[in-house]
Amino acid sequence: MALIDVARRPSKRGPLGSGGAGWVLSLPALLAVAGLLILPIGQAVYYSMTNWNGQTATWIGPRAYLNLFQDPTFLRVLENNGLLLLAMPFAIIVPLAIAFLLHEEIWGWKFFRSVVFIPTAISWVIIGLVAAQFYAVKGILNGMLSSVGLGFIKTDMLGNTHQAIFAIAITLIWSQLGTNTIIFITGLAALDPTLAEAGRVDGASSFRIYRKIIIPQMMRFIQFAFVITVLTAFTAIFSLIFVMTGGGPNYGSTTLEFYVYQQAFNQGDFGTGALLGVLLFVLVATVSVIQIRLLRVKT
Amino acid sequence: MTAILNEVPDSSHGDEDLVDVRQRRIRPARIVLFLIMAGVAVVMLYPFFYMVDNSFKTQAQYEGAKSGFSLSSWHLLFSSEPILRELLNSLIVSAGAVFCVVIISTAAGFALAKIRFRFRTVVFLAIVSCMFVPLPSIIIPEFINVAKLGLLQTYWGAIIVYAALGLPFSIFLMTTYFRGIPDELIEAASVDGVPFTKMWWSLGIPLARPAIFTVAVLQFIQIWNDLLVGLLFLENTDDRTVTVGLALLSSGRVASVPVLMAGAVMSVIPPIVVYILFQKYLVRGITMGMGK
Repeated sequence: MALIDVARRPSKRGPLGSGGAGWVLSLPALLAVAGLLILPIGQAVYYSMTNWNGQTATWIGPRAYLNLFQDPTFLRVLENNGLLLLAMPFAIIVPLAIAFLLHEEIWGWKFFRSVVFIPTAISWVIIGLVAAQFYAVKGILNGMLSSVGLGFIKTDMLGNTHQAIFAIAITLIWSQLGTNTIIFITGLAALDPTLAEAGRVDGASSFRIYRKIIIPQMMRFIQFAFVITVLTAFTAIFSLIFVMTGGGPNYGSTTLEFYVYQQAFNQGDFGTGALLGVLLFVLVATVSVIQIRLLRVKT
Repeated sequence: MTAILNEVPDSSHGDEDLVDVRQRRIRPARIVLFLIMAGVAVVMLYPFFYMVDNSFKTQAQYEGAKSGFSLSSWHLLFSSEPILRELLNSLIVSAGAVFCVVIISTAAGFALAKIRFRFRTVVFLAIVSCMFVPLPSIIIPEFINVAKLGLLQTYWGAIIVYAALGLPFSIFLMTTYFRGIPDELIEAASVDGVPFTKMWWSLGIPLARPAIFTVAVLQFIQIWNDLLVGLLFLENTDDRTVTVGLALLSSGRVASVPVLMAGAVMSVIPPIVVYILFQKYLVRGITMGMGK
């Protein structure tokens, strides 16, 4: 998979000399990345140890990190991040099943493939707008329930501090279907077909072939999809939360990423915002490094 | 890994006999599978139907008091929201950032893949490892820095931030792509005396067209759909993008749902068109690493 290459050195091939030209051509990229990505990380680490409202900063030091863990809201936010992980099995298994179906080339599979991929082109804001209507008190979900005679179950997931995060998680599963299905279809296309064929000749059922032969070969793709989905859940659904719940009710759907925004830009506490951002960075870097290590060992 | 870049992930494995055997054996099962897939398709498509359907209703029709279709929500959208201006803003910002990303990433990718220079590996790893920097982690310093440069509430502020965020992955993709191009092509040109800096433009860009499409499509969709940067860096009503406009309209909680849905339909058209035209490139980009 592509990301393995990140850890691999560039090949030693390539024409010799002209070192100057190499620098000239990579300089704009280097400057942009250094100034707009690397420098801000350094700044964030510094700001994270200050009490800072955007104008005046006073130094607190590493103690700022300890203080944060005393904050019950912060613990709630961490818990919400943890709860999002409950979506992961579904976000993997459903696309895997869809990829198997498409791979079987059932009738109309090319059409279905395009349909399943569509959410990858749609913004979280739009997804959130429609999802909010889905969960609304007078929304689609309650409409469906009452039309099958279950009208007495009145759901209000977005208005419930313990359920809002699950509404977000379910929406996340829907919108990741496309991305993860693409990953699995790529994986299936790259499989060695002779193994499955051998299984079939031996009279194994389709189910057994998938379970014993295909899924084991798919493990690295499953792992890759898992990491991508975790990273998305932790760092890329700000807009979904913003539109669906605004982080509420009562921080019920605030994740670390959303808490950064709330602390800094709603409450003007830039220092705590920066600290939360640094924690998020450490979390993401850890997940990514583990991912690269695991993939490298296996390949 | 260029193999992945070069092949469209079609699930057709070219093993015709195998498919035939399977089809003959489990035909009734295939009907069930088809029905399951059709159910999935309904779940995937229903939100779009919902958007379009409700955008052609009045508030009363949406609430179910009346039936029928109406254009009044569309009228209301155009009269109450600067939606065309917002679409234009989205276009300017996305196109500007995509242009910057394509120019900078082809240059760097060409150099990192094809020219040997000191610290090349270090430069490559430094740039590419920034792929893992999450936007929320740097958004606060970024906001302060852009404000200090006086670029808040200007297109340029948003464009440079979007471009920087897109660069690591794009450069990774370009470098991988250029590595797959035979050195002989570059050597031949350098024997002819073409300087490397010129070669990037005259040889590199034409050769990298598929990778450029992938980068451009992926970045366009990502930037068009982003909320956070737009929300903070383009706050003024006149400057904001359509995604920001819609998010703010919805967070007001007073907006009529049919008007919101009309706005959603408008904002979804450009990425859907890009998706339909360039699906192949988008798929390629996602399987190269990270998607949206």
